[in-house]
Amino acid sequence: MFLVQSIMFGTGVLSLPERLSSLGYSQALMPILFGVIASISLWPMIWICSKYHAKNLFEINEEILGKSLGKCINAFIVIQLILLATAKVSNYVQLIQSTALQEQTTSIPLILVLLLVLYIVNGGIKNVARFCIMAFFITIPMVYFLKWSINKGDISHVFPLFNHSWNDFFVAFDQGFNTVFGYEVILIFFPYIINKQKAFKHALIGIWISVSLFFLTTLVSVMYFSEWQLSNVQYSVLHLFKAGGFSFVERIDIFGITLWVFLVLSSVSGYIWASMKGVNSIISKRKSSHVYIIATTIFVILTLPLSHENLERAFIVSYRIGYGLLLWPIILIALHFIKKSRWNHE
Amino acid sequence: MILITKMKLVKKPMLAYFMDGTTSTNALVEKRIRYYKEITKDNNDVLYKNIPTNEGIVTIIFSQSLTDSKTLEIMVLIPLANYIHQIHQVAEHMNPSNIDEITQKLATGETLLYFHETNRLLSIHTYSVKEREVTTSEMESTFIGPQDVFTESIQTNLSLVKRRIVNPMLKNEDLTIGSVSNTKITIIYIDDLVDRTSLEQLKSRLTKLDYPKFFDISTLMQLIEDNPYSLFPQYYMTVKPDTTSHYLADGRIVILMDNSQAALVCPTSFLEMFISAEDYYNRWPSASLVRSLRFFGFFLTIMITPTYISALTFHQEVLPYELLLNLQESRMKVSFSPLFEVLFIELIVEVLKEAGARMPAKIGQTIGIVGGIVIGTAAVEAGLVSNILIVIVATSALLSFLPPVFHMSNTSRTIRYVFILSAGIFGLFGQMLAFAWLIAHLLRVKSLGTPFMSPVIPRRVSDLMDSVVRFPISFLKRKSGISRSKKRSI
Repeated sequence: MFLVQSIMFGTGVLSLPERLSSLGYSQALMPILFGVIASISLWPMIWICSKYHAKNLFEINEEILGKSLGKCINAFIVIQLILLATAKVSNYVQLIQSTALQEQTTSIPLILVLLLVLYIVNGGIKNVARFCIMAFFITIPMVYFLKWSINKGDISHVFPLFNHSWNDFFVAFDQGFNTVFGYEVILIFFPYIINKQKAFKHALIGIWISVSLFFLTTLVSVMYFSEWQLSNVQYSVLHLFKAGGFSFVERIDIFGITLWVFLVLSSVSGYIWASMKGVNSIISKRKSSHVYIIATTIFVILTLPLSHENLERAFIVSYRIGYGLLLWPIILIALHFIKKSRWNHE
Repeated sequence: MILITKMKLVKKPMLAYFMDGTTSTNALVEKRIRYYKEITKDNNDVLYKNIPTNEGIVTIIFSQSLTDSKTLEIMVLIPLANYIHQIHQVAEHMNPSNIDEITQKLATGETLLYFHETNRLLSIHTYSVKEREVTTSEMESTFIGPQDVFTESIQTNLSLVKRRIVNPMLKNEDLTIGSVSNTKITIIYIDDLVDRTSLEQLKSRLTKLDYPKFFDISTLMQLIEDNPYSLFPQYYMTVKPDTTSHYLADGRIVILMDNSQAALVCPTSFLEMFISAEDYYNRWPSASLVRSLRFFGFFLTIMITPTYISALTFHQEVLPYELLLNLQESRMKVSFSPLFEVLFIELIVEVLKEAGARMPAKIGQTIGIVGGIVIGTAAVEAGLVSNILIVIVATSALLSFLPPVFHMSNTSRTIRYVFILSAGIFGLFGQMLAFAWLIAHLLRVKSLGTPFMSPVIPRRVSDLMDSVVRFPISFLKRKSGISRSKKRSI
């Protein structure tokens, strides 16, 4: 439950209102739609995994598609997972540099974040899951920081006018849906779930915890910001935190963004653990050293002299592959039935 | 009867008188005694006395430092003179040629009786050393509840536990560890509650120990922990028999060591490091309040001084204007960076603490007062540190002494430096990274195979009733999850 929730809840929510800004004030309901789609797409994932009890997505691919084609697909999935993790780390480290550490380069914070991720991942999936639980309970009090924005916001903004075109809707959908990516990792950690019968229910709860928080964020943003601010303020959540303060602390957003490291770590750990499993299946060897290779790859990608636009393009490609990964279980189910009918025929 | 019959069949040899007036039955006896003396020749503690008895000469060999003269008289001398046949029934019969066993027995305070006429060697348990009285605790003092604490005697400690848990299922198994010190330890558990897997795991760790000397149970703790490189103690250490009994009744395993005052409770959790037996004697609201203070105090002590550094070095905008002004005013004279300032005063506090602990009690108190007040005030006047920092560091130092387990206090102080350095390099971000590392580390640590972060992870609702908040006693009807006890209900 918390594993699904935490992997979903990386850095996407920080800029979600800006990504959905083409819808203006109507964006508040968008996370609900994302939640519905995520819930629907979760079902085939659980179904195909329950048919191959002790196998993860990579092993299922090899079984259904054959070794070579399976490994080829797995390589794509691994690249996508690594890029998603890279995107989250990159966004967060840049955000830290621009808000909390303006006079420092991003290299050392990046190394430290990756080292911490390695430390968490080396403990195995149980450790990742436990860290996700802790991350949730440590960061959930941040919801309280929204109270000032709610007080200062205008409730009338919330009522949807639907004054946008279908094109705006699709743009917002395309830019915003990658925020809910993360629950697809259940395809890889499903064999490790003890109570597999309740996996769907728990994953669904996890998805809806995240979606509720996304909804709350967009709702408060819509109340607090003007339409212009929604489309021009990049990390609007931080500005929501800035709306108030305590008698002893003024800039709550600095606390918020530094505490956000828990969410980033839990999310990236989940992705890196999943990609490690992928690399293990591609090379057909179980080696813990693979995780170091993945972390080094992420570090190299982010330290290469690439322009921000090029990096963003790479991340957008990974989001596109992500859509494919959401649909992939449906294709697998179809192939599974074809294979089964052939087998019965013979 | 068989023994007596055999004795009657022994042919009495001719007596030979030696220079010192002692008698020997034959050359074998003389040879043996000489050999024993040869083995113990550099050990002036071992005494040889020849006692004439109804069964001929008996040489008694004993270690005078480990055997009290009164005990020797009651256990050996009087029986030898009056009812020698009983000695044969109660004493342990040994092989006179087994030198290893003989030296081992002497080292453990046994008295050896060598019967010249029959060439028999007997061993009687006469270990009797001076022991400290059962007194009140200085380490874990409490206001409510029993005041007695363990001593350095394993027998006394065992009796203090056994008089609290009057249950035939309470078992204890003895072991000897340390190739040089040959230290006796005992594993205590309640047979129908303990988790067998944990017990076997602990025994296997103890039998595989390869360390020569044990003079305190802390050494043993470090050797049988799951994560020996961790900063955290993974077993609960207590000197109180009531605390020990509380955990035994929960299905835990307790280790006692001879010549060590503390008991080890395993497995245990991070949260239990902040729990004292007094919490169960106290009313539940006040117990909950004190527990919360201890638990959150741990996180405060590692966070407040680093936050001072972060706020003044990287994030001055976090502080309200008035507070920032106040802080800057107090730092007007201070020419060092906040990191250096904090490290300086923190190390001074550490030095004061250590100096106060190492010196005689009265001088220690004086040093504490002189150091605390004079050095603190002088440092502020001299412009070495700000007065606000003095308050923060003093609060932090006090908070670090809240956990009932002293090892945890040391851990919190050590971790604080990690946080201070992190804050000095990366501000709040560094602090949060250190905090994330701390959480990740705690999640990886195990205590006898059980996650150290129980009961939070893995979760069990019944455990949460006895966590940071202590529910009324009537709610605490289940054994804790960490004990993996065979019986869940009380």
